[in-house]
Amino acid sequence: MTVAPQGGADISRRQGAGSGNLYDVLELILDRGLVIDVFVRVSLVGIEILKIDARIVVASVDTYLRFAEACNRLDLEAGRKAPTQLTDVVGNAVESGARGKSKGAVGGVVEAVKQSLTGGSDDEEPEEEEPEEAETEEEPEEAPRRRRPARRTPRRAASRESE
Amino acid sequence: MPLYVYTITAATHPGRTEGLTGVGAEPSPLRQVSAGPLRAVVSDVDEEIRPRRRDLTAHQQVQDRLMAEGTILPLQFGYVAPDDQAVAAVLEERADAYLEALERVRGCAEYHVRAAQEEDALLREILQESPRARELNDRIRAGDADPRLPLELGELVATEVGARQEGLAADLIRTLLPFARDHNVRAPADGDLLNLSLLVHEDDEEPFLRAESDLAEQSTTVTFRFNGPLPPYSFV
Repeated sequence: MTVAPQGGADISRRQGAGSGNLYDVLELILDRGLVIDVFVRVSLVGIEILKIDARIVVASVDTYLRFAEACNRLDLEAGRKAPTQLTDVVGNAVESGARGKSKGAVGGVVEAVKQSLTGGSDDEEPEEEEPEEAETEEEPEEAPRRRRPARRTPRRAASRESE
Repeated sequence: MPLYVYTITAATHPGRTEGLTGVGAEPSPLRQVSAGPLRAVVSDVDEEIRPRRRDLTAHQQVQDRLMAEGTILPLQFGYVAPDDQAVAAVLEERADAYLEALERVRGCAEYHVRAAQEEDALLREILQESPRARELNDRIRAGDADPRLPLELGELVATEVGARQEGLAADLIRTLLPFARDHNVRAPADGDLLNLSLLVHEDDEEPFLRAESDLAEQSTTVTFRFNGPLPPYSFV
């Protein structure tokens, strides 16, 4: 069972997005929601740098070398014994204690930002400590990329089912 | 005085905001601007608002509270109107669209799902299933210094990772979709393979949550991050 923020418990879910999982809903708060274009929007400069960085997905030589190194380092003997039926995830009821440690070639920026957002108590925070500051420090080249279209599925027309 | 605008509701929404804190270093109390059948929840701001954690959290908490009592149209973070009249004017001009949107999300909440996959397991799987990848990996590990080998291996693996993660993401979406009135797929964050928002009606909440738990329990190498119920940010 690897439900990160809420453990599947209805009670904690009910509390919605506290600061503990603010990072995961940050994109919703900043990038979705109703837009009223005749009003002025506050500056999101630093934040947008991160969001663009996280979205542009470029397959690069750097990425290839990173993956190659990750493969070279793997302990294949251990791997041969471990069942890794990844694609059966939906239909297969095998429980395991696997946790998300995907920070090698496929992680980085997100984690850094997450820490910057969830790291400390909000109240004691000095005004200067804003989320975007940590984000802009990330080097884009350090972020591994995957080949993926910016948007795989266009938003379909909202359903009109009435209550 | 400028107003920070949080959310739009029907005038019939209770709109209780006691105890909530607005944005800003010295937040003003939340109040409402009404126009016809609609109402905006706002607070006065006399300073520049920035996307600080404090203010992002305040924005979100206002939505959470109001969502618990009725249907809302949550604004994106950061919209400031010049004065009450400007807010009332927008409510009047766009009343039809807002009422329609309120009807569309009535009784629904957004559920957000992100998933990441354990990288080593994925790479192992690829090496096990691709003879060419295995051969390249073995040659590199045996000391072959040909610089083309890591590039070919890396490209092959990167392509496989992308394809497998997309396939897995599609499976996950298919599993959860039957419980949703609407959905929205975005590019996953780095390290993730899924960034999915679903609009779930309260009548479908229980089976949906069960499906989420089942997914998490069945997955050996995938970590899920479930959030919700959330204001329907992705569906307004």
